[in-house]
Amino acid sequence: MFGFIVIVVIGALAFAAINYSAVKKKSAGSDEMQKIAGAIQEGADAFLRHEYSLILKIVIVIAILLLVVVSWYASVAFIIGALMSASAGWIGMKIATISNVRVSNTANETKDIGATLKVAFQGGSVMGLSVGGFALLGLALIYYVFGVLMGQTDPSHLVIKTNWLGINDIPFTMTVSGYALGCSIIAMFNRVGGGIYTKAADMGADLVGKTEAGIPEDDPRNPATIADNVGDNVGDVAGLGSDLLESFVGAVISAMVLASYIFFTSGHSANPVSNELVTKLISFPILFAAAGLVSSMLGVLILLKSNVSAKPHAELNKATFIAAGLTIVINAVLTWMVFSGMDLSAAGFKLGALSPWICAVLGVVSGILIGQLAERYTSYDFKPTKGISAASKEGPALTITQGMAVGMKSVIAPVITLGVAIIAAHSVAGLYGVAMAAIGMLSFVTMTVSVDTYGPIADNAGGISEMAHLDPEVREITDELDAVGNTTAAIGKGFAIGSAALAALSLFASYLFAQAGPKAADGIELVLNMINTMTLAGALVGAALPYLFSGILIESVANAARAMVQEVRRQFTEKPGILTGEETPDYRECISISSAGALKEMKIPALISVATPLAGGFIFGPEFVGGLLIGTTLSAIMLALFTANAGGAWDNGKKYIENGHYGGKGSDAHSAGVIGDTVGDPLKDTVGPSLDILIKIMAVISLIAVSIFSKFNLFSLLG
Amino acid sequence: MAVHYYLTVFPMEAMVASQLEPEQFGAYMALGDTKAAAEQLMFIEVEGGFGDFFDWDYAEKKCVPHSDGRPKNSLYLAVYRALENVPLEALGTMYLVTKDGRSLAIDKTDYKAPAQWPGFALYREYCPMSPLAVSTLDPKNYGDYMTDPVNKVHAPSILYADLRVGDLNDIENSGNVGHIYDKNLDHLKDCVESLRSGKRKMTKIVDRSNFSTSFYQIIGEGLYVSTEYGIVMYPMPDRDELKKSHYDWGKSAMIF
Repeated sequence: MFGFIVIVVIGALAFAAINYSAVKKKSAGSDEMQKIAGAIQEGADAFLRHEYSLILKIVIVIAILLLVVVSWYASVAFIIGALMSASAGWIGMKIATISNVRVSNTANETKDIGATLKVAFQGGSVMGLSVGGFALLGLALIYYVFGVLMGQTDPSHLVIKTNWLGINDIPFTMTVSGYALGCSIIAMFNRVGGGIYTKAADMGADLVGKTEAGIPEDDPRNPATIADNVGDNVGDVAGLGSDLLESFVGAVISAMVLASYIFFTSGHSANPVSNELVTKLISFPILFAAAGLVSSMLGVLILLKSNVSAKPHAELNKATFIAAGLTIVINAVLTWMVFSGMDLSAAGFKLGALSPWICAVLGVVSGILIGQLAERYTSYDFKPTKGISAASKEGPALTITQGMAVGMKSVIAPVITLGVAIIAAHSVAGLYGVAMAAIGMLSFVTMTVSVDTYGPIADNAGGISEMAHLDPEVREITDELDAVGNTTAAIGKGFAIGSAALAALSLFASYLFAQAGPKAADGIELVLNMINTMTLAGALVGAALPYLFSGILIESVANAARAMVQEVRRQFTEKPGILTGEETPDYRECISISSAGALKEMKIPALISVATPLAGGFIFGPEFVGGLLIGTTLSAIMLALFTANAGGAWDNGKKYIENGHYGGKGSDAHSAGVIGDTVGDPLKDTVGPSLDILIKIMAVISLIAVSIFSKFNLFSLLG
Repeated sequence: MAVHYYLTVFPMEAMVASQLEPEQFGAYMALGDTKAAAEQLMFIEVEGGFGDFFDWDYAEKKCVPHSDGRPKNSLYLAVYRALENVPLEALGTMYLVTKDGRSLAIDKTDYKAPAQWPGFALYREYCPMSPLAVSTLDPKNYGDYMTDPVNKVHAPSILYADLRVGDLNDIENSGNVGHIYDKNLDHLKDCVESLRSGKRKMTKIVDRSNFSTSFYQIIGEGLYVSTEYGIVMYPMPDRDELKKSHYDWGKSAMIF
């Protein structure tokens, strides 16, 4: 089994390297194009370097804390997780800033949308393969080194042990939780920092450049335009990559942790989980993920080798469905091979050997359904978004009102889908089945990330084409690819939210298990007593937390955007020659403002996500944190769906008007649509994605710390 | 440095002398020099030296470079009744300047009747007044009518454009027409209907003072300057031509 995983990891990373090299070999176009792309690359590099140097300090502090308080293996796993996630984000950003100009040049040389799509997708696939490859590499390392070589997954070691502080834990669960925490920390900073950066630059560029000065999108006279393009790379590429890597890892480790606890707590029961079964339950998620990675690689290969039509959306959908279909088929065989002929009743499998596979299929189907629902609420091919465009005729107030209505209404259908998936998965394979549904949803994450990364690459290519004054035909090609990228991004967000909800639920179940002491081998009843005042109070605070977190994020974007607006105005006032083309804008200053703003503003939201469960636990104890987690999870899922869909709908509502409806560009409806889009920008690109990470990072931290604050908390000490 | 004469017709009617070339003048007027302005502008380059309404000697004397060598940006010679005092023969190229300072140059041609005539047209007058009118008259007859001294209400000279008219009953699919239909759409439909039905006179004012901005994307066949002595036309390039040769201007003008 391990050999298969190693081959898949090597294959994925080699495939990423081949695609990286293939894209890099392509011509980067004229000197002017290379100069623009160089400025974008330089800005993105500088930001990530600053961000990573800041994160490094935090990683060191957390690693030391884990080393002292928990265990050395949790600390090492944490560092490995941070390394994997940071590497994927860095490589993704690098390839995106290499691909953008080559996509633009391919459009210029070939005037063929299919050929251009391939280059953009090939660039995106480097990120996708890196996310899948690095996530699996880390998991495989952790599993093999700690699980197999050090024997942590040996059934005899899957017991609750007490450390020098008197803290209880199952060593392997701490190791994989440490790994997940490492991924989560990087994801949180990349998402929050990148999200603030990209929206500050975007809003600054739009509010002054487009609205006040009347400059078209991506015009080189706009001082914030390079920063805007940098933002696409640090927010939508690096942020998204580490976010989905973290989701993927979170889903896999939640199943592994659950398997460990299910084994331990059933030890003295009438129907205990056998040693062989627990070994398989722990290793199966990695195997499943590896098969998903193989399927995604085939999907990527098929798209790159086939004759691509002039319909980019259809081509990307086709590749995604191929990957999803192959994942389902390959894993059916794999699941059968792993579990057939075993007594699976102890694990709660109701439908035989294929039970976990059925749960994963439920995850795949519900993920696709949530994605389609997101498209229905955010695409201007459907009524909800058209309704926002129609409301724009009556001014910005009704645009905002209608967008909020669409966003709020969009929440119920995906939540019902999730509810059905959870109930169905649980009835097929218990809590392990719920974790498998999350894994299923993310099993072809490589393809999802490839498609999602293609979007910002195409967006940047459009910017470079515009700034380099390439032919209108070229700009139309890159604009069309960019438009498709907006839709794929909305669908990708649906997957991210859905999988986060399922993974958080599994982690939450693990949290309840993790409160168990050594005696829990006699069995444990997983109950969260909502009548308990501590739990209820925790749930109330937890439900409010995403609002506080979101409010801080929006304020952070507004603060950074305000500084950007003032800078762009200053440059236009002090250098009138910028607009006449006689003077060059100071792009670097705008990049610095976005960068400094993001680095300054990202600390508080990130700190809240880490500190709240710890503070709650050490003051009020584990019941409070249990309530906190469930409150945060429920509230954050609703808010994430609302912000992602409302923001997407406002964006596309404006685009619908720009396409020649209700007066088109320059109409009052368009002005109102622009305001709606501006309001929605930080919601969909900063708040929504960050909420996904908030719930998982809180769950993982609580999982690691629960045994500590169960023993040491202010309330138990006082009374 | 040569002195150029520019007849600005939107947003203000004026005769301006300047040492700037037309595109530079357009950018200067749209964007300002020391202040960050963003204003659309339409102007026509004219051959100076005609008539005695404008003080050409004053212009030659005062329109000189600054002490540091910079050209004189603008010297106003008249701020009203400018258009009526410029003969059609003196009119040169027209420039449509976008809010961000990009210019589209349109050469003057003889009048050419619209290839297709739907029975009515929507006219946007720019100078000297700025009403939006609907009329059953084609562009030439509209100009003749509006400048005919026989009419009690007439102007010596007018500058106007015929506008693209979409399906007024399908505003959702209006096309890229700017804010022309944002206000009083029902009134506009009533005006068109009353003319079509023949119940009303041949020309009807839809809006007495129309627009603070000019939307280039809705200009139809072109712009016209009409006097009682004749008419000249500034044909609007079609979309293909704009895309091929003036794409950046088209983006700034919100056409693309």
